[in-house]
Amino acid sequence: MYNAVVNELIGSLGLIKPELALLVTFVVVIIADLIFKNNKVNLGLSILGTIVSGIFLIGMSGTNTSAFANLIAVDPFSEFFKYLILISTLIVLVMSEFSEELHNRDVWMGEYYMLVLGMALGMFLLAGATNLIMIYLALETMSMSSYILSGYTKEIKRSSEASLKYVIFGSLSSGIMIYGMSILFGMTGSLDLYAIQSYLAANGFFQPAIFISGLMVIAGFAYKISAVPFHFWTPDVYEGSPITITAYLSVASKAAGFAVLVRFIKLTFFDAAGSSDESWIMMNSIPWDMVLAVLAVATMTLGNIVALWQSNVKRMLAYSSIAHAGYLLMGIVVMTNTGLMSILVYFFFYLLMNFGAFIVVMLFAHKIGSEEMDDYEGIGYQAPVLASLLTLFLVSLTGLPPTAGFIGKLVLFGAVLDSGWYWLAVIGVLNSVVSLYYYAKVVRNMWLRKVDNGKGTLKFSIQSQALVMVLGIPTLVFGLFFGPIMRWAEHSVRIFLGN
Amino acid sequence: MLIDYSVVLVYLIVGVLFVAAGIVTAALIRPSRPNPRKNSTYESGEEPIGSPWIQFNNRFYIIALAFIIFDVELVMLFPWATAFKEIGWFAFWGMIVFAFILALGLAYDWAKGLLDWEKPNPQIPSLDELVITREQYLDELKKKEQTGN
Repeated sequence: MYNAVVNELIGSLGLIKPELALLVTFVVVIIADLIFKNNKVNLGLSILGTIVSGIFLIGMSGTNTSAFANLIAVDPFSEFFKYLILISTLIVLVMSEFSEELHNRDVWMGEYYMLVLGMALGMFLLAGATNLIMIYLALETMSMSSYILSGYTKEIKRSSEASLKYVIFGSLSSGIMIYGMSILFGMTGSLDLYAIQSYLAANGFFQPAIFISGLMVIAGFAYKISAVPFHFWTPDVYEGSPITITAYLSVASKAAGFAVLVRFIKLTFFDAAGSSDESWIMMNSIPWDMVLAVLAVATMTLGNIVALWQSNVKRMLAYSSIAHAGYLLMGIVVMTNTGLMSILVYFFFYLLMNFGAFIVVMLFAHKIGSEEMDDYEGIGYQAPVLASLLTLFLVSLTGLPPTAGFIGKLVLFGAVLDSGWYWLAVIGVLNSVVSLYYYAKVVRNMWLRKVDNGKGTLKFSIQSQALVMVLGIPTLVFGLFFGPIMRWAEHSVRIFLGN
Repeated sequence: MLIDYSVVLVYLIVGVLFVAAGIVTAALIRPSRPNPRKNSTYESGEEPIGSPWIQFNNRFYIIALAFIIFDVELVMLFPWATAFKEIGWFAFWGMIVFAFILALGLAYDWAKGLLDWEKPNPQIPSLDELVITREQYLDELKKKEQTGN
C-alpha cells in the first residue's frame, strides 16, 4: 500500500540536494564542535558546506518540478532566491570572522555557525514551499534560529531585549498566520496551495472568510518582511542584534519572506488559466492588489519619514530597509512578468548594497566605538577607502545613477508605470527623494565636516577591505552592465508565472 | 452556511451555563463557617511548616526541555513502527537518520555540561574565623567601650 508513497519519496530526494547538503553540514558542524572545540574549524566547515550546497544548486539549474508530492517546488523562481540566500550566508559567515562584537566577548561561536546554517536551511525550504504546513514549518525553523541569533551576545542588555521583543512579536504573528491557514484549510479541505486554488476556482466560497484568512496569512508574511503595520519589531531588533545578524536578517530573511509571499498570493488567489502579461485576474473581486498597494504605501512612507529622525546609523539602516520593503511590495502589486522580475532584480542589488553598508558600519564601529552619525564626522579623511565605499553604497540605496540601486529602482518603477499604477509610482519616487536626506546626512558627516579628534588614519585589515570591495565593485559595475541580471530574473519568473 | 455553526454556539452557551449554574447554586446554598483549621494549607494531614512558595531549581527546566524533545520523538516512532514491516529498508534508514540527529542533540547536551546536576556549595566559615585569640577579644571589647555601649 505504501509503495507509491515510498517511491515518490526516494525519487524526490534527488531534488533537494542543496538542502540535504546544508543539513549534513549542520550535523557535521555539531559533531566537529564537540570533538575539536575549535571555532576556526567550525567556520571552515560552515563555509565549505555552504559552497558544496551552492555547487549542488548550480547542478540543479533548470529543474522545474515539485518534490514530495507538491510539498516543495523546485523551480527557477525558488532557485533565484536560493542563490541570494546562499550568497548572503557566505557573506555573513565571512563577516562574522571580522566582527569584534562577537569575538571580543568570549562568546562561543560554535552555536552561532550552527544556527546560521539552520536559518539558511529554513530559508531554502521557505523559498520553495507550496504547502501550508511546509510554509509554516520552514518559517518557524528560520524564525527560531534568528530569535536566538539576535540575542547571541547576551551580556549586552540591548541584545537580550532585541531577542525578547523578536520572540514575542514573532510568536504572535506566527499564531495569527497559522490561524488564517487553518481557516483556509477548513474552507477548502486541503493544505496544498495548488489544490486550494483549484477548489476555490471550481466552487463558491464565503467571501469574508477568504478575505480574513488570506489577510491573516499575509500578516504573518508581512511580519517577516517588516511591512507596516507589522514592522514594530524591526528597529529594536536590528539595533540590538550583533551587526552580522542585522545584515543577515535585513537581506536573507526578507528575501525568503518575499519569495513565499509572492508564491502564496500567486498560487492561491489567482485563476489557474489565463495568467498572461496583464493585470490581476482576481478571484471574485477581492481587491488583493489594493490591499497590497496600501501596505506598500504605508511601509514606504513610514520607513522613510521615521528614518529622517534617526541619529544611530544602524537604526537608520533598519528603517531604510523597511522603506525598501515598501518599494518591493509595489512590485508585487503589479503582478505581471515585469513586476515580479523587477522584484528579483531589485533584491539582487539590494543584497549588495545593504551588506556593503552594514559591513562598513561594523568596521567603523570597531575603530571609533560608536554607531552614531555624529561620530562619523571627518572619518572620510581618516579611512578614505571605506568611507568612499560607504558613500557608494548609500548613493546606491538612494537610487542615483550610475549605481546598481538606480537600475533596481528604474526597473521597479518602470514595471509599476507600465501597468498603469501612476499614483503608486509617484508616491514611490517622492519617497526616494525623501530618503536622500538621511543617506546624505551620513555622507555629509563623513566628508564635509572636518574634525580633529587626534585619531589619525584608521587602519583596517586587508581582508575586511577586500570583502567590502567585493560588494562595492559589482554595485558600480551592475549599474552599467545590468543585462545578465535582468535576463536571469526574467527567466526565473517566466517559468513560474507559466505554471 | 453560517447557520451550520449554530450547533457550536448552543454547545458553548450550554457548557458555560452548566458550569456557572453549578458554582453559583453551590455558593448560594452552602453554609459559610470558616475556622483557622479549615483555612490553612493542606500538607498531607501534617501541620503546615514554612511558606508554600518554595524556589525550585531551574535544573528541572533543562530536564523538562529535553524530555519534551524525546517525547515528541517517541510520538513519531509509533506510526513508523506500524508501517515499518511493509516499507522495509527505506523506513529503517530514514528512522536511523532521524534518531541519529536527536541522539546528536542529546550528546551535545551532555558534552556541553547542560545535564550536570549542580549542587549548591554553601560557604562554611573556616576555623580561623570562628575562633579568636584572647588578645583579639580584649581589643574588640575596648573598641565597643570607645564607640559607646
